Amino acid sequence: MSEVAGSILVLIGAFFHFSAGLGMLRMPDAFTRMQAGTKASTLGNALILIGIAFYHPGWSLKLLILIYFVFMTNPVSSHALARAARAIRIPMAGPPPQALASAPAAARDGA
Amino acid sequence: MAPNTRARRSASFVGLWLLLTLIWFAASSSLAIESIITGAAIAAVLAHLFVRRFPAWTDVRLSPERLIPFFRYTGVFLVEMVRANLNMLRYVYAPRIDINPGIVEVRTRLKTPVGRLALASSIALTPGSLVVGLEGDTLTVHWLDVKTTDAEEATRLIVGPFETELEKAFG
Repeated sequence: MSEVAGSILVLIGAFFHFSAGLGMLRMPDAFTRMQAGTKASTLGNALILIGIAFYHPGWSLKLLILIYFVFMTNPVSSHALARAARAIRIPMAGPPPQALASAPAAARDGA
Repeated sequence: MAPNTRARRSASFVGLWLLLTLIWFAASSSLAIESIITGAAIAAVLAHLFVRRFPAWTDVRLSPERLIPFFRYTGVFLVEMVRANLNMLRYVYAPRIDINPGIVEVRTRLKTPVGRLALASSIALTPGSLVVGLEGDTLTVHWLDVKTTDAEEATRLIVGPFETELEKAFG
């Protein structure tokens, strides 16, 4: 029974990871992609680790430490990436939706 | 060095040392005497280096009045994180991505570096916002769906949920 619960948690976690990947593909610019990647993958990780704890109750403490570790490092790395992206002035998709700066160049090259 | 600073430093050294030793126990899950001695020694070296190199840690005080808000903050944080993820799913699976991204600046009342660090990290994991810069008491936030450009209102919406508890926990 507990293995079924664990499997379901791992599956939900995998779904969040998949959504994070899909978000990275669908979002328009670097910052919004980072947002999709950071959030969904953090919760996905936590759910997968909790799911593993159902399979191996003896690992619970270690897994809890891993979850804390992911929670503490994931935002820091995304913050560093976002800061770097801003520092080198990566163009931001803004309202109204506009094409990315690289799109016209690519079109020109193709023509 | 003033005696008062030194006392605080040794207090935070001991706190950090105990914390790291506990983590060692949980990770090694062994009570063999060699393991305990190795863990305590490594934890002592790490705690010593950390307290010397990162003075901000000495602002963190471990006491019950601070731990309770910290646990409450953890609860608020978990709820906000699940909300953030459901929100993100809505954007990701919408037929057309309907966002209105922009950058806003918000101010925080938190004074200590560790408190600000915790706030910035929390914002990264909560609905539609990501910190791209932190300078003094001003956080530059990338917002997925800009609802207002007014600094006060943005502060209330983005920082609001966490600030009260973090202020009690870290000052």
